[in-house]
Amino acid sequence: MKKLLKHLSPLAPDDSGACSVLYEMGAVTVICDAGGCAGNVCGFDEPRWFTKRSALFSAGLRDMDAILGRDELLVKKLSLICEQVDARFTAIVGTPVPAVIATDMRAIERMAEKRTGLPCIALNTDGTNLYDYGEEMVYKRLFEQFVSDEYSTVKGRVGVLGATPLNTGELTSDRIKGELRSEYGTDVVCFGLDSGIDDIIRACECEKIVVIAPSGLAIARFLNKKYGIPYDVSGCCIDKNVLEAAKALDNKKVLIIHQQFTADYLREQLSGCDVTCASWFKMVASYKQENDVHIKGEDQFIELVENGDFDVIIADSFFKRALNTFKGEWIDLPHFAVSGRLNKDI
Amino acid sequence: MTEAYYITASELAKRSYDDLPDELNSAKHMIYSSPATLDFNSPGAKGFGVKRAGLAIPGSVMLLIAPGCCGRNTALLNELGYSERFFYLMLDDTDIVTGRYISKIPQACAELLEELETEPSVVMLCVTCVDALLGTDMERVCRACEDLTGVKTAPAYMYALTREKRLPPMGLIRKSVYSLLEPQKRRSNECSIMGFFSALEDDCELYALLRSIGIKNIHELGRCKTFNDYQMISRSNFSLVLNSEARAAAQDMQSRLGIPFIELTRMFRISKIHNQYALLGQALGSQLDDTEYMNNAKNIVDSFRNKYPGEVFAIGESLNADCFELALALTEYGFRVAEIYGTVGERNFVFVKKLAELSPDTRIYSNLSPTMMNYEPLKDVTVAIGADAMYYHSDIAGTPFNEEEQPFGYRAVELLFNKLDKVLSESRGGAR
Repeated sequence: MKKLLKHLSPLAPDDSGACSVLYEMGAVTVICDAGGCAGNVCGFDEPRWFTKRSALFSAGLRDMDAILGRDELLVKKLSLICEQVDARFTAIVGTPVPAVIATDMRAIERMAEKRTGLPCIALNTDGTNLYDYGEEMVYKRLFEQFVSDEYSTVKGRVGVLGATPLNTGELTSDRIKGELRSEYGTDVVCFGLDSGIDDIIRACECEKIVVIAPSGLAIARFLNKKYGIPYDVSGCCIDKNVLEAAKALDNKKVLIIHQQFTADYLREQLSGCDVTCASWFKMVASYKQENDVHIKGEDQFIELVENGDFDVIIADSFFKRALNTFKGEWIDLPHFAVSGRLNKDI
Repeated sequence: MTEAYYITASELAKRSYDDLPDELNSAKHMIYSSPATLDFNSPGAKGFGVKRAGLAIPGSVMLLIAPGCCGRNTALLNELGYSERFFYLMLDDTDIVTGRYISKIPQACAELLEELETEPSVVMLCVTCVDALLGTDMERVCRACEDLTGVKTAPAYMYALTREKRLPPMGLIRKSVYSLLEPQKRRSNECSIMGFFSALEDDCELYALLRSIGIKNIHELGRCKTFNDYQMISRSNFSLVLNSEARAAAQDMQSRLGIPFIELTRMFRISKIHNQYALLGQALGSQLDDTEYMNNAKNIVDSFRNKYPGEVFAIGESLNADCFELALALTEYGFRVAEIYGTVGERNFVFVKKLAELSPDTRIYSNLSPTMMNYEPLKDVTVAIGADAMYYHSDIAGTPFNEEEQPFGYRAVELLFNKLDKVLSESRGGAR
């Protein structure tokens, strides 16, 4: 059965991805759920929860709220919180509950804006898609709504898209900035990581955008088209030991599994090997090589490895559980959106 | 920014339970994911949520039928060795709107059984808010699975939407895990202890007291190693219910299996523990001699008070106690309780009233209130009890007191004060 997971547990969902981008934006963010989804985000998918304060709340929906569609109550509670917490805007993140009862998120957005006087973005995430879908959705709303063209380009200013703990395994932007500075510019800003909504408003100051995960690509293209900011694609935040182990490979058949741009970046470091990149998450066709694989289910994943005759797999060791028959070498490459492990946990 | 909301015990006691301030009523505001909130919304590797509790039956496996977001934190349970026992039927957006996946559940059960080397004792079907809203008839789904696979199947309702109903998810799951017991001849010298998914702490006096009146076998879900051990529970002559969330399960066992039950409460006031044992003895038709245990507990409290007379406590709710009852106990023992982070319910409002008489200025905070993100700790608190209190007071001595082994009776008092003594002596010695 295609959607049955017999070995693996679920990967980071879209609502987690949405919250990850919003986390440091200075918004009041409300997860439109009964409590469990917010628990999964704050207790698992958001490693910054206990180190960086963020106004991220659960709507605390109850059965009658859902059955009766009490949108007015939700907006009332949102306006109450805006009196208690300083916020630049509000965001409402969808979950399976509003999806089942077909909540009109656009209507809630308008109601919230009218009531609080703050801009609101309401997101149709529903917990059934993966985190990159949610990240992309938030990037789109934030950049389309908030970027101001009043700012002129600043020399050396570089904006990074895709810089979330889910993509990079990093809690702060230090490492990303350190890795990108030498190649791209001295003044690196990672949108959403150690940076808030002001940096998005001033995005036109960037000389260049660097996209480190597929979730940021659509909005980089938008910024290029609308404001003429060029973009580049890169990978980063690969552990030194992983890089060394990968570079030491020679004449091997290698499978790399991660988000597409990290996997691609690692492939570029290998020489003399036959490398296939695969991802459970979005793969952009224009960056895919012929044999690259978008994994859609556990059975397909197992089949890929069983029939692939790989000597080496470079992937999060979380996937080992599904691959009992694989006898080759495994190089552990953590991916937070898969296993919840940060780079420092390796 | 608004300061963290609190109300003093005296202010709260002047109101009735039906007149709680909005900040203490979770239906009136958004929910802050404090450590305590996460404990019940997303228990992860600590404690028992519906998913882990559903696997309390030895040899069971679970099929979680849900969108990916509902099973995400299950990865934490892998660390506890549950990875071989969880399976997932992932729902997409069309599924959750149309309910078309329901007819596929029996086939999913059959496929997961093919994967297992040994047949499980039961397949627990865990469903979420989606099925709460769709109104899925899980009894019927379970029957369809049993018809196809021949393996027992039971529902586990992870309905977060119904948390404040008369039978909340943690009550329903207790009912489910005892639902596979079958009627058999009851033994007069056997009983069961219900309420927790893990066992009581080994040295709890309740075991000795029950044995002193001729009880030979004491069954507990948390001590069952095999499905056969589990089935022995229905030989019990009576059940002791130590957590009110197990009441519905005990009522079900009474009606289905004819096993009556007696409800006891975990308390930290020694006089009340003594009264409760006296009443239990009366109900069982024997006298329970708890003198030795009571005197020991009194000595431990006295000794602690002599050693640390001026301690000021902050008490959370992520712990093995009712925070309001514990605050009352500590106050009665002569200590000061400055802060409580708790959820006021109908049952513990009575403790608030008594606390107000002895300690009117005790501040009561709600862990769920969004204003708690602005909480600043009181400087005069010297000891924190509970994982959440320790989070708020990260720079003072504290004990989480939320181990899996469940404390009860005089032994709970002994364990608590021993832990407090340990952390305080370490802290005062400079090594926390």
